[in-house]
Amino acid sequence: MRARRWRALLWLGPSLLLIAGVVFYPAVALVRSSLGRYSVTGLFQGSVGVANYARLLEQPALSTVLVNTATWVTAVVGVTVAVSLALAQLLHQDFPGRTLVRWALIVPWAASLIMTSKLFVWIYDYYFGVLNHLLTSVGVLSRPIDWLGDDATVMGAMIAVGIFVSLPFTTYVLLAGLAGIPGEVYEAARVDGASAWTTYRLVTLPLLQPALLVAVVLNVIYVFNSFPIVWTLNDRNPGFAHDTMITYMYKIAFKSALRDVGLAAALGVVNVALILLAVFAYLKTIRWDDGAPAAGRA
Amino acid sequence: MRQRLRTLFVLTAAVGLALVACNRGSGPALTVVIAEYSKDHTRAFWQNLAEQYTKQGGPKVDLRIIDWNSIDQQVSTMIQNNQPPDVLNLNSFSSYARDGLLYPADDVVSPNTRDDFLDAFARGGQYQGKLYGLPILSSARAFFYNRELFERAGIAAPPKTWDEFVETAKKVQALDAGIVGYALPLGPEEAQAEWSIWMWNGGGDWKAGDAWAINSEPNVRTLGFLADLANRHRVTQVNPGRTNRTDGAFQLFKDGKVGMVMGFSPLAKQLDAEGKVKYGVAEMPTTQPRAITLGVEDYLMAFKKKDNREAVKKFLDLYYQPDNITKWITAEGFLPVTKSGLERMRANAALTPYLDALPNARLVPTTDPAWDRVKLDVQQNIGLAVQPGGNPKEVLDQLQRNAVAAAAAR
Amino acid sequence: MRRAALSLAGIVLACVVLAPYVVMVLTALKPDAELRVTPPRIAPQTWRPSNFWDVVSDPAFADWLRVSLVVAGVSTVIVVLAAAPAAYYTARHRFPGRTAFLFVVLVTQMFSPTALVVGLYREFFELDLVNTYAALILTNAAFNLAFAIWILRAFFASIPREIEEAAAVDGCGRLGVLARVILPLSGPGLVTAVIFAFIAAWNEYIVALTLMTAPERKPLTVGITSYVTAYVQHWNHLFAASTLAIVPVVVLFALIERHLVGGLTAGSVK
Repeated sequence: MRARRWRALLWLGPSLLLIAGVVFYPAVALVRSSLGRYSVTGLFQGSVGVANYARLLEQPALSTVLVNTATWVTAVVGVTVAVSLALAQLLHQDFPGRTLVRWALIVPWAASLIMTSKLFVWIYDYYFGVLNHLLTSVGVLSRPIDWLGDDATVMGAMIAVGIFVSLPFTTYVLLAGLAGIPGEVYEAARVDGASAWTTYRLVTLPLLQPALLVAVVLNVIYVFNSFPIVWTLNDRNPGFAHDTMITYMYKIAFKSALRDVGLAAALGVVNVALILLAVFAYLKTIRWDDGAPAAGRA
Repeated sequence: MRQRLRTLFVLTAAVGLALVACNRGSGPALTVVIAEYSKDHTRAFWQNLAEQYTKQGGPKVDLRIIDWNSIDQQVSTMIQNNQPPDVLNLNSFSSYARDGLLYPADDVVSPNTRDDFLDAFARGGQYQGKLYGLPILSSARAFFYNRELFERAGIAAPPKTWDEFVETAKKVQALDAGIVGYALPLGPEEAQAEWSIWMWNGGGDWKAGDAWAINSEPNVRTLGFLADLANRHRVTQVNPGRTNRTDGAFQLFKDGKVGMVMGFSPLAKQLDAEGKVKYGVAEMPTTQPRAITLGVEDYLMAFKKKDNREAVKKFLDLYYQPDNITKWITAEGFLPVTKSGLERMRANAALTPYLDALPNARLVPTTDPAWDRVKLDVQQNIGLAVQPGGNPKEVLDQLQRNAVAAAAAR
Repeated sequence: MRRAALSLAGIVLACVVLAPYVVMVLTALKPDAELRVTPPRIAPQTWRPSNFWDVVSDPAFADWLRVSLVVAGVSTVIVVLAAAPAAYYTARHRFPGRTAFLFVVLVTQMFSPTALVVGLYREFFELDLVNTYAALILTNAAFNLAFAIWILRAFFASIPREIEEAAAVDGCGRLGVLARVILPLSGPGLVTAVIFAFIAAWNEYIVALTLMTAPERKPLTVGITSYVTAYVQHWNHLFAASTLAIVPVVVLFALIERHLVGGLTAGSVK
């Protein structure tokens, strides 16, 4: 038994080293910062215990930001996964031009989030943007919309971009999952006389479970932590009306009258706790306990 | 094939490790942080200066050019980690002075350099009577108008009073569907600049003596005036409370669709380069006897660190040599902060309107450490007053309350 | 007929996905004066392909490109080297601490780099590694570990044990089994992990911004932002540089994409 543990360490060693060095140390620093008081300049001025957390709960904008974040994550992850299931199915089939379509799908992922965000700011612009121009010339809109300045449309505009950039990654994860399903199971289903939809529901989806798990959990984490999209698209709006927890944290630290690094660090820790809760809840729901999925054992 | 893959993996890992070994940071260096004013000029000039400095016997320079969007975050990170730079270029300084982080000017620049600073700018860098924020460059705002649109609308001369201004804006706005009378940027980017100009020309100010007076009578009237421009007269672009200068108001003006805007010399440079818009430069419309414009100075400051005083002094004196400082300011399109620089730049005719305005330019209260918070507060919130249904008095009252609280804190 | 319908669907998908980037490329080809025009024109009136040449011949751009290539390439290799053994071992063996390990790996992903950046700076400063390739490489490797471990693990777990046992009988050591038998069979998973790690490192912004401050050490994501500052805006160059920045990723993808198709080959147990 002991030999096993040492052997495990050997195999897990490099990963553990990386994590300890690069994530653990700054994480500890983050927690320490959340317990401190800082001047506007960033100068450390002493420890204040959990006062920052208490002040965080008193912030008037917190509830708005929480709601925004919940909306943002649910909408982006939900729609992305649903659409990606369909896209993965499409790209799994063999048809002329499939390779080119796959290459096209990599582009939103290959472009950095900052670049795509700036591009969409460009496209969404009230006066100079292509979107308003197209929609008004075609007649869908009677007058242009200030997509990024109008309170009613900002969230939707950001969510659209969030979905757009998350589709490639999710589709490819699901595609990898699909590729791992052996052909025999489809044969068996066909022999049993199952329809396409039933096959999908009762055969494909369950076998996609590991890939879906990865896709949903990681998407939730990345979308929650996503900074560039909300930051860039929401840039010209005052206040915190459309911020998510991550951009709110950044604003608290550097861009609002608060300029309080300790308070921001407290929010950073709270953010981790929130995602932890969300992911845990999801894992519990799908009862992730065992190791290998059923596919290989057939 | 697999064998080759494995070799490739091992090789790359080895390269990676080699890079780790070879690229350790080197010995003592002078850390200089400069904001990125432009891609083309900032890095080139400062790298050259750093090389000059090292050749003259100074230590190696760790030069960091950081864009304006991130410089606050970067500097805060450095200070949180107790690793401040040696020399920093920023648009504020008094909070660092208050925290005791800076050398006063007497310690790090020669008396010649000290005396060369233009008085208004030297005063703008003082904290509790001592000069900490060394002026690095300045800019002044001017009133830009589109000559062609004015001709089309039958306007003979740029407006001088606020009534004339509203009339002019209405006439221009009426020209065509896509034309805007006045581009008003009150979005978070630099709202305090736009607001300062209107506030002063409306007879108000940030402070009355030593106390904050953000919600004074004249200021409430002025903000109400701006809200009317947006909502009653409708002579501005859409959503002025959410428009920034650089990607909003200026872009519209450069496209030739705006009658009037508050601009500055870098904008003039771009307009000249593009050659699309025939523009004129005038004084701000005002309710006061003389038009007041906004002067902005950015600062160089020296952080107190063990044994760096001599090195910093040499570096600063090198920058402030008239040839060097004038070369950079001219390249970036800004205005001088030294008497010698002013003389040299007088020769440039394009800068005349700004250089003339300079003596009458007012600065925002950067000497007050609370300003750092007030500025951000104004940036984030003043746009709310000009939205439909916005309440200027409420917004200013809130800003005033926050300012007083910021002044009282620590 | 069915294949034609699929092709049509594929074309529509490709168009939707590429449309914004077509706008980007067309904007990159415009001269300064045409950048902001009302009403907007999609295509330039005067075509300026020299914008791309301006970017390519800019020595700063060459620096940024080099840094991005090195950081993304090496960190991807390190991710695979670290993740593969860990994924394999946790897929095959139950051992005390296995759940804890997987949990820790997952939790590390939950820390937003934006929040960690200050601590990272301090750590690398104390190690005298600020502004070095190593700092960025290690950071990117660590941040991409979870995904790689999870997807590789899912793939390894679905490979029948018989295949490994056959290889063991043939005389391969544990590591050999991993390298010679398991990894090749996990083609799709491996490819996904590699692409993911490379793209994540290629496009990482906030940590690179904080740790790499010398002009010649900035990667593309950071360097590109200097085309548009508060005072000068060269959107056409920004978009040209962004277009060029996408190319290496697409090339990498094109090279290894066909392995996404592979799956369990039924005949391998024979």
